[in-house]
Amino acid sequence: MPRIVIVGDRNSGKTTFLGLLYTAQVKSGSDKADDFRFHAAFESLDEISGVFQRLMSGSFPDSATKEGIREITFRLGYRRPGRGIFSRQRSQGWASDSSVAFHLIVLKTFEDDVARHREGSSIADASLRDAIGSDAMVIIVDARKLVAVDDDSEPKPLAKYDAAVESLLTAVQHSRAHAERAVLHPIFVFSKFDRVDADTLRRANLESAPPAVRKKGPRAAFAKALLDPNLPKTMAKVRARERGGLEFAPPSYFFSWVRTDETVSGRAEKVRLRRSGAVAWEPDYSSDEYLAFLECLWDLAAHTTE
Amino acid sequence: MPCALLGDRASGKTTFLGLLYAAQVKYGTGVQDDFRFHAPIASLNVMSAVYEGMKDGRFPSATLKEEITELGFIFGYLRKIVGKLPYYIRQQNWVRPFSTLRFSAYDVSGEDIEEFIDTGIASRPLIQQLLKSVVVAVLVDCSKMTTEIDTPAYKKMLRYDSTVAKLLVSFQTYKRQEYDRLKDSGVHTDPPRIYPVFVLSKFDTLRDDVLARLGLHRGFPEDKRQRKEYAEALLRVFVPQSLSQIRGGKVAGVSMDKAAYFLSWVHTETQEGMDPVGQSRIVRTAFAPEGGGEPDFSYDEYVTFIEHFRDIAHKIPDEILEAEKFQAQAMVRSA
Repeated sequence: MPRIVIVGDRNSGKTTFLGLLYTAQVKSGSDKADDFRFHAAFESLDEISGVFQRLMSGSFPDSATKEGIREITFRLGYRRPGRGIFSRQRSQGWASDSSVAFHLIVLKTFEDDVARHREGSSIADASLRDAIGSDAMVIIVDARKLVAVDDDSEPKPLAKYDAAVESLLTAVQHSRAHAERAVLHPIFVFSKFDRVDADTLRRANLESAPPAVRKKGPRAAFAKALLDPNLPKTMAKVRARERGGLEFAPPSYFFSWVRTDETVSGRAEKVRLRRSGAVAWEPDYSSDEYLAFLECLWDLAAHTTE
Repeated sequence: MPCALLGDRASGKTTFLGLLYAAQVKYGTGVQDDFRFHAPIASLNVMSAVYEGMKDGRFPSATLKEEITELGFIFGYLRKIVGKLPYYIRQQNWVRPFSTLRFSAYDVSGEDIEEFIDTGIASRPLIQQLLKSVVVAVLVDCSKMTTEIDTPAYKKMLRYDSTVAKLLVSFQTYKRQEYDRLKDSGVHTDPPRIYPVFVLSKFDTLRDDVLARLGLHRGFPEDKRQRKEYAEALLRVFVPQSLSQIRGGKVAGVSMDKAAYFLSWVHTETQEGMDPVGQSRIVRTAFAPEGGGEPDFSYDEYVTFIEHFRDIAHKIPDEILEAEKFQAQAMVRSA
């Protein structure tokens, strides 16, 4: 089962990201005609459905909900192509042996563990052990903190996070220097992208919205234009080609946003709900990005099980 | 074949069972005589009290609901081939003229369910019994369907959806584990299958503005496919997690694709220009040659519900017997 760790700064939107990922699955896998189905493990459903309930009633996850989210296991299935119109054959396209389970682990704090590991401690903490054994790492980048850095004198809000992620990647790389399975897939997710500073985009010569999910090349260029100045150490690390040991696969990039409604002062902002399809509704969020993310996980499983 | 009936508090579980009993009484005494039913004495005591109350225009009382933890009926469906035999042969027991199906509804306390959902461990025998169900009937209370997201009813429905989704996943997990256990013991059996049934209860209370918002008309279609589309259009909005986990059963190795949809309503007395005080009263039908004085309810839907189990009854008991046989084999092997 591919293991995917999710790292992110405090309040960067890790729980909301998982909640919206679950929402995308619920909304895409509840129609018989859908080409996608998913199954959530019992242990995961309790927590993640709590996040779903909050999002569907217009609220973001509260601190208690965030605290409860640690590990989520999903099983995904895409209909096998070429099954034709015969219903018996179509139903066979969902056989459980053709589906893939994923284990998503949220790393709440990892900076201290990495520091201890760097100082030579041989006892890796739980979060670091999770990262070391992972197949992919989702690096959440809070888009509100992105800046267009023209010179080094400007403050970089993501500098500390950049150093921490770079250290984590280095720790993983060292720990798996002689491992058999030595490819890690970095996945960058820009959270709260609707809150990105317009001036940052303008100064980086970027459009206000990223290119569509199918335009992989332009999207990568768009993302790199933001990541290179904001997470320079992390980007250098994933680009570096080391002899032997752990390799980093080419990164994938996704952009997450969820629209909110203004509330009276002092009250928490509300998630805006929108009509979805003919009869349902859902949070007003970047659903295409989440569906593309799920496909990315599916591809990743194909690579890790080969 | 055990059948689990899931429903929120005050979603109409006892009323549903009372109306099912009323439908069985009427349908089982019809001229056609291809359906019969039997109820154990404990269940009969409760159900006949519910039935009497309904014939008197009253909904079941809360005390009555707490009298028993398992309500059981045995449905008997005349086997097709037996129906063609001469009457005197058909009456012989050795012909086994009826395929039977044990319909059991469990009244599990909210605390037991919550404990099970929190821990994932079915420590109570009743929960273990519940998990063995092959048919899972889910009551969805239409009176709680609202498009106003800030109302308690909307939030209640969201919570109910999460609870049902978790229970469905636990049914799947249990069946899958049982299947794997048998397989590991060298027993070859078909992949597990659960038959989900959704009952849209209190359908007459579904608000017009909700239907209009969802682009649906008031009447429930008769055509099987259209019924499914109509019901799923409602369920996709109000219980999307449950629906997605039913669909997802297949990727988890437990097929739940053969879902069926029914609605339930019972007419209540309305006083023109006045709001009813206290519990509303059930409208009863006028007397006619085919009967009368019965609660005015969605009788045809209940007959369709009973008939839905005919195919399952012809097929499932054999599977259950086989499973029992396999389990016995497995025990012999392990001994």
